[in-house]
Amino acid sequence: MFQQGMVTPPLASGQALRLDAVTRHYESPGGTVRALNGVSLALDGGSFTAVMGPSGSGKSTLLQCAAGLDTPTSGRVLVDGVEMSGGTEAELTRFRRNRIGFVFQHFNLLPTLTVLQNATLPLRLAGKRVDRTQAVEVLTRVGLADRLDHLPAQLSGGQQQRVAIARALVAGPRVVFADEPTGALDTRSARQVLALLQEAVRIDGRTLVMVTHDPVAAAHADQVLFLADGRLVGRLAEPTAAAVADAMTRLTDQAARGRVAEGV
Amino acid sequence: MVFWLARASLRRRAGAFTGSFLVLLFGAVMVMSFASMLDTGRGTGVDAISSETLTTMGSVVGGWGMCLVVFAVVSTLGLSVRQRATETALLKSAGATPAQIVRMIAGEAALVSVAAAAAAVAPSYLLGRFLLGLLKDTGQVAGGVAFAFGTIALLVGFGVTVGSAVIAALWTARQATRVSVAVSVIGAATGPVRLTWKRIVPAAVLLIGGLYLGVLTVTAFADKGPDAMPVAGQACILASMGLALLAPGLVRATTALTGRLLHGRGAAGYLTVQHLRRRTGQAASALMPIILFTGIGTGILYLQLIENRAVAATGYLRSNEQQNIQTLNLVVIGMIVVFACIMLINTLVASTTFRRREFAQLRLAGATPAQVLRTVRTEGLVIVATGTVLGVLASAVTVLPYSIVRADRWIPDLPAWVLLAIIAVAVTATLSAALGTAHRMLRTPAVDAMAP
Ligand SMILES: Nc1ncnc2c1ncn2[C@@H]1O[C@H](COP(=O)(O)OP(=O)(O)OP(=O)(O)O)[C@@H](O)[C@H]1O
Ligand SMILES: [Mg+2]
Repeated sequence: MFQQGMVTPPLASGQALRLDAVTRHYESPGGTVRALNGVSLALDGGSFTAVMGPSGSGKSTLLQCAAGLDTPTSGRVLVDGVEMSGGTEAELTRFRRNRIGFVFQHFNLLPTLTVLQNATLPLRLAGKRVDRTQAVEVLTRVGLADRLDHLPAQLSGGQQQRVAIARALVAGPRVVFADEPTGALDTRSARQVLALLQEAVRIDGRTLVMVTHDPVAAAHADQVLFLADGRLVGRLAEPTAAAVADAMTRLTDQAARGRVAEGV
Repeated sequence: MVFWLARASLRRRAGAFTGSFLVLLFGAVMVMSFASMLDTGRGTGVDAISSETLTTMGSVVGGWGMCLVVFAVVSTLGLSVRQRATETALLKSAGATPAQIVRMIAGEAALVSVAAAAAAVAPSYLLGRFLLGLLKDTGQVAGGVAFAFGTIALLVGFGVTVGSAVIAALWTARQATRVSVAVSVIGAATGPVRLTWKRIVPAAVLLIGGLYLGVLTVTAFADKGPDAMPVAGQACILASMGLALLAPGLVRATTALTGRLLHGRGAAGYLTVQHLRRRTGQAASALMPIILFTGIGTGILYLQLIENRAVAATGYLRSNEQQNIQTLNLVVIGMIVVFACIMLINTLVASTTFRRREFAQLRLAGATPAQVLRTVRTEGLVIVATGTVLGVLASAVTVLPYSIVRADRWIPDLPAWVLLAIIAVAVTATLSAALGTAHRMLRTPAVDAMAP
């Protein structure tokens, strides 16, 4: 629906995202920080995965490496079966354009562009023809048909995030990443945003990976992956909010015990 | 509390303050060195003629330099305060009263300007002595006059630098804090765009003044020969400052004129149009120094060239004295032009640095680094083209009248390379400052550059 009348390959089948032993190390004055420590995973097309874990466990790093916004120290990332060339920023950008959409916690809309202009920006940057009718349709779907010419500063947080979702979807990406997309929103706006993201999976067959701290949000997903100290430490299929909350409590307790054991 | 906050903020924003400091420093040097001519003229045993020459030099040339310095300081400080609208809004929402914020910003301006004026003392002393040497060599001041650098130089130097910096900061900060938190966040995003009467009235006065001096040159001073030089010379300074004040309106006019052309030029052209339209204030602050540099530079350099040509036409060999007067003029012109150029570079570096977040957002939305640079280059070209055209227009009120007076023709029979060289310097300074800074911004990965 976000991309109409096109002969697209069947989206909801085959592996959409695959990570092979991905690590990401940062050199800092205090020594090497292992933000990601050998993460491997494979996600089917049309699936909805939530990623959870304590603060600093590497969730954002994982998303950025998988989305081509950051380059892993080692390991491979494959989107739609194509390996991400760990080359220059320009190469990574071109790789991302048709394959990957990203929704940030703080929206990251261009302050000088209107709602409509923000939503169509990725197409313009990719040198594609901008189909106004299609863009308006996307924005209508996220409930912003009457705000097309507003600037981001004139919108509420929830509205800005919906523009950001429209922008992430406009180029018809295979995989959409969202890093705490509801983190800066009130409950009502958060629910709207979640519903839109879910719709992108259920109706359009996009593959969605979402970092969240909220068990209720995570319960919308098909599965929840738990991350601690840069490693995948657990998986929960068919999650409910209660089960997710339980698992998170155990994980934070373990992490706390681990830190005590290490004498930190 | 406020002083502590100001000092902490100065330390944290060292980079941003370096630019303001440099403009203040060069401005203070210019003002102080000319003001030291007044000190020298008041010394004991200075004959009447020498004293008059020194006073004229100090007050007339120094006065114009001072106007330019005040203009530059006000626009530089104003820019740096406006760029902090978001920070100001955050401080306000954290409980700081508007009065506290105004005091903090004025406190910073006072610290930076006092430091700049203090640093300017030694170079001003040397430059003042050098100027006196030139005046002696040209026989305009008696050889026995001793150089003095005293109360007037220090008072005027510190007064002008610190005074204009603090007043500019107070004024802009007052405006910035008067609006609500929400609006000032929008303001940070879009920049002030209106052309208010506070700009239009002084701009009109300056433009009419410039035209009037141009007319005066061809009427009252028509048969005064070289004596018409200072009158004609001031015309382009006034006209340039007048046009510079109108910059926001001029940016809007340019956007309307070039919009169609730019829209056909891919993502970079598209983004340029949106930037000019919604960040008119930011584009205007880059346009101002380009107009000043081109207008004043072209005006007074051609003024000197016309004069040279006129002297040569009399058939006499140029005397040593005339040669020296030319040198003196060139020193003064050089100082003013170099100052305008520093202001130009500082403004562009400051306003490009300010766009770090915006560049990162563009990259995250799918722009390659090359596309970001292309956008910055397109914007720079539009601004510098507008600025040089307007600058050349402003210089006409000096060049055309003086050419009539000295050569009996409107368009002087002079090589175009001086004009081309001035334009080349404006274009090079604009593009290298903007692109160099953008290049530096692009070295940080986009996700890190987003961090506040
Ligand atoms: N640029 C960097 N330089 C050094 N260390 C970094 C950098 N970015 C992240 N880290 C470190 O890597 C680890 C993982 O960070 P990351 O941002 O991925 O955590 P997170 O799980 O997203 O946390 P949160 O829930 O707080 O957002 C942290 O220990 C962090 O300090
Ligand atoms: Mg994070």
